[in-house]
Amino acid sequence: MIEIARLRVVLPPATVVLDGVDLTVRAGEFVAVLGRSGAGKTTLLRAINRLVEPTAGTVRVAGRAVTGADGVELREARRRMGMIFQQFNLVRRASVIDNVLAGRLGWAPALPSLFGRFPPADRALALECLAQVGLAAMAERRADRLSGGEQQRVAIARALAQQPSVVLADEPTASLDPALTGSIMDILRGINVERGLTLVVSQHQLETARAYATRIVGLRRGRVCFDGPPREVTPAVADAIYGEGA
Amino acid sequence: MRRAGLFVGLLVLAWTAWDTGADPVRFVRGVPWIIDILGRMLPPDPQVLAPALLGALKTVEIALLGTAVAAVLALPLGFVSARNVVGAPVFYPARAVLNFFRSVDTLVYALIFVAAVGLGPFPGVLAVVAYTTTSLAKLYSEAIEGIDRGPVDAITATGATRLQVLRFGVLPQVLPLFLSYVLYRLETNIRAATVLGFVGAGGIGFYLQTYLRMIDYRAASTVLLVTVAMVMVVDAISSKLRERLV
Repeated sequence: MIEIARLRVVLPPATVVLDGVDLTVRAGEFVAVLGRSGAGKTTLLRAINRLVEPTAGTVRVAGRAVTGADGVELREARRRMGMIFQQFNLVRRASVIDNVLAGRLGWAPALPSLFGRFPPADRALALECLAQVGLAAMAERRADRLSGGEQQRVAIARALAQQPSVVLADEPTASLDPALTGSIMDILRGINVERGLTLVVSQHQLETARAYATRIVGLRRGRVCFDGPPREVTPAVADAIYGEGA
Repeated sequence: MRRAGLFVGLLVLAWTAWDTGADPVRFVRGVPWIIDILGRMLPPDPQVLAPALLGALKTVEIALLGTAVAAVLALPLGFVSARNVVGAPVFYPARAVLNFFRSVDTLVYALIFVAAVGLGPFPGVLAVVAYTTTSLAKLYSEAIEGIDRGPVDAITATGATRLQVLRFGVLPQVLPLFLSYVLYRLETNIRAATVLGFVGAGGIGFYLQTYLRMIDYRAASTVLLVTVAMVMVVDAISSKLRERLV
């Protein structure tokens, strides 16, 4: 589903964030990307949909090249990839339903969408996605009136409204109360199992990653230092990912 | 270092006091004359209330029309002078042009436009437009530069076009600020427009200047009171509206 080859990201002037990442994610996998802060987790996720422009290497999603795609092709690739952010990134002043409808922007007729008009089918779909994250009753609330956990669920609904085949989640629980981590991760597991969506989730908590993911990828200094099932994450592996040495 | 700064500052102020002929004794000697003029202003002459009100209405019209036109003209200017929208080759020249035109006061523009299109409220409107467009463009561009990058990323990630990103990621963040700046400008423009009549550019200032020249202080005080009332009413309405925007 996602094929990443020799991916390099160098930020000006000369910070090597990703240093030749090779990674193939199969359809339906729930991949957790682990690593210390600064290891390149966020950059890896953002390079997959080119919110960060790769310096070298290739990314293919569902068989189509993302790297090298022109404007139209890139938008077509992006609308098939939902993205969830650490800071939720909702439009705070807009209503919950309008935030979810934003997930339809890649699909809706462009001109009417600029006037805030979406096809009835898109509205129905947006409401359905809200219901799936348990927030159907909050559709008309302003996004910034919601709690952090609720806002992240709205962000998940926005991603689902894209009817994506892949969801990228960048530390989706890092800015939430630890007690809420489980509820957000449960929703992500739900969409992975029920909808068969491919998930790539960056996590800094080893335990959470082990409990939910079907596969763990460890990043260290911009390189893959571990790739395997959760049960193979031994203390030695954890040390290789997080440790101070070398 | 700090002491030296203080010393230089005081030295500069002392020199300005000397050069402007600032003299407390002269001021105290003038106080009886101020009291005399205030005495001759009382009671305000009710007979000039009608022309004063008409003049105030003109002033409000000048400020309202000028601000509204400027609010629209400033939009494209605001975007091309925002550092995070355009590159340096556009940004620096755009900012320079804005700063140049902004450093000229409305009253000076009025002098120029009276010479160009003749006496009356119309050159007043043009003067308000000239100053307000550039000053609003500066405020707009600062609002655009201050936006949260997060929602912009999130909308981009849905596969939205550039225009859709602007409409759904940027506009909801800046529009309330824009409106608030426009109202603030309207308030200051009402004040600026009260003196436009002095140079023949219409409004209540014309009456104030005329009665002062005729040494009809009672009529002038009526005009002054109407001016104060007008400014207070517009301020009250405007700040009520601004409160609701935040």
